[in-house]
Amino acid sequence: MKAVGARLPRYDGVGHVTGQTTYVDDVRVAGMLWAKALRSPIHRGDIMRLDTSKAEGHPGVHAVVTHADVPKNVYGHLEALGVPADEPLLAEGEVRWKGQVIAVVAAEDEATAREAVELIEVEFEEKEPLFDPRKAFDPDAPQIHPWGNWYNHFEGEMDRRQIRKGDVAWAFDQADTIIQGVYRPAAIEHLPLETQISLSVPESTGRLTIYSCTQAMYFSMGVVAAHLQVPLNRLKLVGGTVGGGFGGKVDSATETITALLALKSGRPVKWRFTREEEFLVSSTRAPWHIEIADALTDDGWILGRKTLTLHDSGAYSRFSPYGLTKHSFHHLGAYTIPNVHFDGYVVYTNRVPTTAMRGFGVTSVSFAVETHMSRIADTLGLDPFEFRLKNANRVGDTTANRVVLQDPSTVPIVQAVAEAAGIELAAELRTMSSEPRTGDLLPEHLVSQQVLEKESH
Amino acid sequence: MARHRGRGFTTIEYPTGMNQNGDPSQAWVKLKPDGRVDVFAGTVDIGQGSRTVHTQIVADAIGVPYDWVTMDNTNTDSSPVCTGTFASRGTFIGGNAVRFAAEKAKERVLAIAAQELEVDAADLVIEDGEVFARGAPQKKIGVPDVAAAATWKYGELITGTGAALKPFASLDPETGSVEVEPHSALSYAACVAEVEVTVLSLLEAYDVGRAINPTLVEGQIQGGAMMGLGLGLLESCYPYYPSTDHRGGEFGTYLAPGIEDLPDIKALILENPSVDGPFGAKAIGEMANNAQPPAIATAVHDAIGVWITELPITPEKVLRALDRKAAGEGEPRREGKRVIFDEEISLNAVGSDDAAVRLTLGG
Repeated sequence: MKAVGARLPRYDGVGHVTGQTTYVDDVRVAGMLWAKALRSPIHRGDIMRLDTSKAEGHPGVHAVVTHADVPKNVYGHLEALGVPADEPLLAEGEVRWKGQVIAVVAAEDEATAREAVELIEVEFEEKEPLFDPRKAFDPDAPQIHPWGNWYNHFEGEMDRRQIRKGDVAWAFDQADTIIQGVYRPAAIEHLPLETQISLSVPESTGRLTIYSCTQAMYFSMGVVAAHLQVPLNRLKLVGGTVGGGFGGKVDSATETITALLALKSGRPVKWRFTREEEFLVSSTRAPWHIEIADALTDDGWILGRKTLTLHDSGAYSRFSPYGLTKHSFHHLGAYTIPNVHFDGYVVYTNRVPTTAMRGFGVTSVSFAVETHMSRIADTLGLDPFEFRLKNANRVGDTTANRVVLQDPSTVPIVQAVAEAAGIELAAELRTMSSEPRTGDLLPEHLVSQQVLEKESH
Repeated sequence: MARHRGRGFTTIEYPTGMNQNGDPSQAWVKLKPDGRVDVFAGTVDIGQGSRTVHTQIVADAIGVPYDWVTMDNTNTDSSPVCTGTFASRGTFIGGNAVRFAAEKAKERVLAIAAQELEVDAADLVIEDGEVFARGAPQKKIGVPDVAAAATWKYGELITGTGAALKPFASLDPETGSVEVEPHSALSYAACVAEVEVTVLSLLEAYDVGRAINPTLVEGQIQGGAMMGLGLGLLESCYPYYPSTDHRGGEFGTYLAPGIEDLPDIKALILENPSVDGPFGAKAIGEMANNAQPPAIATAVHDAIGVWITELPITPEKVLRALDRKAAGEGEPRREGKRVIFDEEISLNAVGSDDAAVRLTLGG
């Protein structure tokens, strides 16, 4: 029997639904301590005083870590991709979001660790927070990072991600109608059943074994090694089975902290987020603000598109510059638009840092583009299927980034869903293929693009 | 009271692998002395079934029964590099890594079988755990006997390593242009949503290249549909965004779809194979929650005549939009050939006049 194409049951399905699967929280080792965190109670402010001595002296407490215990406290998840580090593992000097971790205690049990957290003395001087990315550019806006309120290192030099293709001024000049709208998909939680968790065990060999719920063992191992400044052979990540991720467990939320506490105490240390922590202080999907203006002919050609995106990153960059770039690459959707002008900004606000989530960067722009397409069809009185098929990606068309499409499926996928929904497409739409455009479907503004693309390849 | 029904239709595309590439997955495969196959790869199974899919790919790439193959993805000592389970990369990039490793191991199986059978390795095929000569099926040897011969007779460990990596696609910061394709295969999907106060049905079509395991593809589609419903109708960390007030810190105060919200979901799977994915596969994972929110927004407009473009489309927002409509508000402003929707929530309306980086959509 061939395995590929077969409806084989998941190897772990029965274990999951009968409670037999071993998740990180099921791993218990002798001498294990539990961690609890002191978190910022304010959205933004300076830390004026931090004294952990009473917590350290509390019976049952074996270690307390602050920024001073981290060999490399500020490390960027995407430094290898040229995104400079901006986020401390443990807050130092300033807090920029309510819930930011300042110190973590390891104690005999969770109740003792919580008591010790209460004994940490900390004083803040509160500052005005910024929450609305639309106000981040105002001259009188609170400045929440020394370099400003938006990311300024795209390709090392740019303060925005931009795409320029064709002649967008010509398109807007030629257009019969210009339709513009604003689209704002919300921040949502990842909602894993298994909250963020790790267990770090110091081995007699001097190595650390880290049981982790990460979605990316090598990535998380790299993050821990960078903060601790140790080579990879000092660490062993154990994982591979996760109780729900959806992107939220690409962040290494607890691994480095339990590793630090294990090294400092000489004991295994486990940290598991409460459900409330998972909701309120674990990272979320980002809120986005997307403005689109399309230059249209009355018979339904999209001559050009201008887009402005504000990506509300929360307090730090994390993966947002990557997410915005991916967003920009896909902001034309499943369609071919020859003249394009895109500007996108990663904007900082004093909310929980956002991160990857299923469809990272693209879920937001799919919502914006498709709702906009529906709105255009409705406003111009066009059939929504015909409008999409007319502008569909075809073989040889180029994307916003000038990638030549070899095998796009816009046409067959629209035809399939229309047929299944019992929608009668006109004969020329039913028989349309993905082959390069000819005849009425190759208007002058696309002819010139085809010539241009041939010349540049 | 009249019941208003509406329908919305959307089409989307989604890339496979990390944007701009540069995200390796590696694997190695070894045979036990009885021909059973061990696979080591770092692909984390976040519940989507990637370990099952990788195992299926290895079984067919070598030509042995599925239950001969065991995959170990448990730790970084035994598994080589995997960039991670995200960016819809598991089946395609992780799957290619185990496929390449399996193909290398298969070459050694064929070479040793050729010695044992005294035929040219090029004339041999493997099916269902048996190696036999093309056109002479009586000339055959089981994979267990090949592995035994390797172990006890030739002193060889049958093994293979594989690595999948598409090089990083750098881009021009001025134009956004790239020199090489900045992702692996593109997947496409379409969705028709029907609503009547609540969502009644979702009809969806997905081009996944090749469904390695149709049951697990359907699992992704159904789970994604529920997340799409949450995005479209219910979920928000900040119900009064950008304010941080009224955050929900528990299941009772953060509203996500439950099983009672499940609409009628019909999914079509199209198989337009990719040229370079394992057995023609493309991605399905992430795109599965992208087509529903705009389809729902469109269907809501079709039903009651208001565009709600700030997600989620909660009953509160629907009622407020209907109130505005009844008061003659919420229509787009027309200025020459320009039709301007949502002006009151735009950057121009909310930000100050002289912000230097302002991009106006006009002109």
